[in-house]
Amino acid sequence: MTSHKIWDPFVRIFHWSLVGLFAANALIVDDDSWIHEWVGYGIATLIALRIVWGFVGPRSARFASFMPDMRAIIAQLGDIATRRRRTHPGHSPLGALMIFALLLSLAGICASGYMMTTDAFRGIEWVEEGHEALVTGAEILIVLHVAAVIFESRRTGVNLPRAMITGTKRMPDDTNLV
Amino acid sequence: MTKAKRDRISWLIALIAVQSLCAAFFLWDVVNDMGPRGLRSLTNLHIVIETLAAFALVSGIAFETRYLMRLLRRTAHLEEQVSIASGAFHEVIMDHFDQWHLTPSESDVAMFAIKGFSIAETARLRGSAQGTVKAQLNAVYRKAGVSGRGALLGLLVDDLLNGPLAARPGAAEPDVA
Repeated sequence: MTSHKIWDPFVRIFHWSLVGLFAANALIVDDDSWIHEWVGYGIATLIALRIVWGFVGPRSARFASFMPDMRAIIAQLGDIATRRRRTHPGHSPLGALMIFALLLSLAGICASGYMMTTDAFRGIEWVEEGHEALVTGAEILIVLHVAAVIFESRRTGVNLPRAMITGTKRMPDDTNLV
Repeated sequence: MTKAKRDRISWLIALIAVQSLCAAFFLWDVVNDMGPRGLRSLTNLHIVIETLAAFALVSGIAFETRYLMRLLRRTAHLEEQVSIASGAFHEVIMDHFDQWHLTPSESDVAMFAIKGFSIAETARLRGSAQGTVKAQLNAVYRKAGVSGRGALLGLLVDDLLNGPLAARPGAAEPDVA
């Protein structure tokens, strides 16, 4: 096993606070309560900070290090098709796609949610329906995200959830690094 | 990998993604339409047709995904080779692999063996342990009913020479004559 320090404390705190706040608003808190609004502001703040961190943070947190790349995506799918084991420091190409999808949908949820509190858009149907559709979309993405993390952890032999807690990816000796 | 090939794979991935979204929507719609009557609503012709259409789409996606996996495997095996001969040889080999019911891992290991890679090299390229590669290779030989690498190659080459891959230029066509 070789250890690679990948995720800085901000990325980890961001990830798990987002999990907590999204779960709270989607599953527990009453939609019409003031708590729902404030949890939403919390999520919006987290997203905004993450975007700034994506430009000034350490290498593995920077957007430039995981921009979508079709060649790399096909290579990763090829590894899956042939059951070859290659591991990526930082986000894998498919994982990076998921990060962008989640960030975009959460930003959309925050924006439409905020609009519902303003006089201009309060009670307008498409805003409310858009908000709910985006939430359903994000929930589907989260289920896919968790399934993919389990699948990739088993395939590559790297415990990915553990890495998001400790910040360190522990890679098996015989694996190939990209 | 050539750009044309990469484009083809990209389009296929995009198609599968869009169709998956559609399938999810249709299935969700069917479940909604069924509502409280549950499976009893299958007596309604409209809902039956909707359900069948949704399942047809799902099986189409499954078929496309299988094809994509095959395409990806082929791309991984052949890397930069674009010649017609290597493509045809690969076809013959993959047909045999399918007949022997090799798993994706076993196919990949067998391909490396045919190309002459040692067990150590194959293990390094696949990012797995040598013991794993040995076990997979033994499974390949067992499934193919051969004793080892030489016999496996012999079997494939034999088939390639017998099979009418492409008409040799200038050769008389027996049926026409």
